[in-house]
Amino acid sequence: MRVLTYLLRFTLLLSLMSLAPTGMLRAADVASSGFGEIAIPNPQKPANAEQCVEPVEVMRRDHMKFLDHQRDATVVNGERDSKYSLVGCIDCHNPAQPSAEVIRYEDPRHFCAECHAYASVKIDCFECHADRGLEKQQQSRLDPAVNGWDTRGSALTASTLRRRLESSQ
Amino acid sequence: MKNAPDRQAAQPSRRGFLKGAAAVATTLVAPGIFLYQTGHAASGASDQVRWGLLIDSNALTEADVDACVTACQREHGWSVDSDSTTDAQWVRKVRLEDRESGHRIFLPMMCQHCESPPCVDVCPTGASFKRADGIVLVNKHICIGCRYCMMACPYKARSFIHEDLKDQLAVAPRGKGTVESCTLCVHRIDRDGTDAVPACAEAVNRGDRKAILFGDLNDANSEISRRLRELGGTRLRADMGLNPGVRYQGL
Repeated sequence: MRVLTYLLRFTLLLSLMSLAPTGMLRAADVASSGFGEIAIPNPQKPANAEQCVEPVEVMRRDHMKFLDHQRDATVVNGERDSKYSLVGCIDCHNPAQPSAEVIRYEDPRHFCAECHAYASVKIDCFECHADRGLEKQQQSRLDPAVNGWDTRGSALTASTLRRRLESSQ
Repeated sequence: MKNAPDRQAAQPSRRGFLKGAAAVATTLVAPGIFLYQTGHAASGASDQVRWGLLIDSNALTEADVDACVTACQREHGWSVDSDSTTDAQWVRKVRLEDRESGHRIFLPMMCQHCESPPCVDVCPTGASFKRADGIVLVNKHICIGCRYCMMACPYKARSFIHEDLKDQLAVAPRGKGTVESCTLCVHRIDRDGTDAVPACAEAVNRGDRKAILFGDLNDANSEISRRLRELGGTRLRADMGLNPGVRYQGL
């Protein structure tokens, strides 16, 4: 009986030893194959932002679900105060450049395009939506005072005033 | 196998989801019968209001109506080339002239935001819809560009986008192959509520003299309801019974 147990243990040890080099060999195969030549995208985080609306791992998997859900909530129900907003993504990840350079979605350096090109994802968001942040001047299009166009004494509402105060701080 | 820890980290916490699901308000109606109400933000369109416009044509000159159109173009980023017959036009200038006396009045004509909108009736995909607060919109995410709504609209309010567009504004996403029309400046309404002033109104109102008045038609105490009660307002093509949310005075 004791001999049998030893034999069993020995066989187990042998099989383990034979498996280990096989695994190593496989790893070496992958490293030497062509996969290393495809550059895995590494989109840069916005310089001025600390944290995205969700942890990075969640955003990587689910950003499209958030956006898809939010677009219907916004268009149909008018809910615009969600943290998930395409405009919010763009304002942070592709803000208006201080230089004249405009990075569009067609540009592989565009934050969205980097991964979508790698993953062969085709989106049509930017056929209608702005794919880059707007200059302050353009953003304040809603504010006639900033726009400098004649409102001919239209009433200044309390909420407009509050917003202006907040934005000037 | 190297990626395994990452994949695990990418799983949103199941416990967090269950916690969220548990945060549902319940009310005991009768023994054993509960009313469940999921927490819903107070934001968004309310069915308690019906937004409308009152346009006083007596207070509008031709230049004013041009200013309305220009303001709408700036706000939403559309424009009309002089030689184009297909460009989108959210609001247009209409001239009414009495041939005998030569008297002319000018009106801005846009989507009338009907209570029973024919554009919504005919839409095959449900893209043309009326929001809870009475604003008639196109959900461009599901619009297939068939243009039935353009044919159904008796006010010629809708336009089709024929060309690729670039540099659309954040408040007004627009794109080729979809239909669009006046949104009653819905982005301003969602932001400001009853304080909202649509771009066309902002362009022509001077102090207390509001040639274009925005307000809640459901609220008997709102300025628009008060003025309609005192001076009346015309519904364009009232014979069709669409009950538009845009009313005119001085026709």
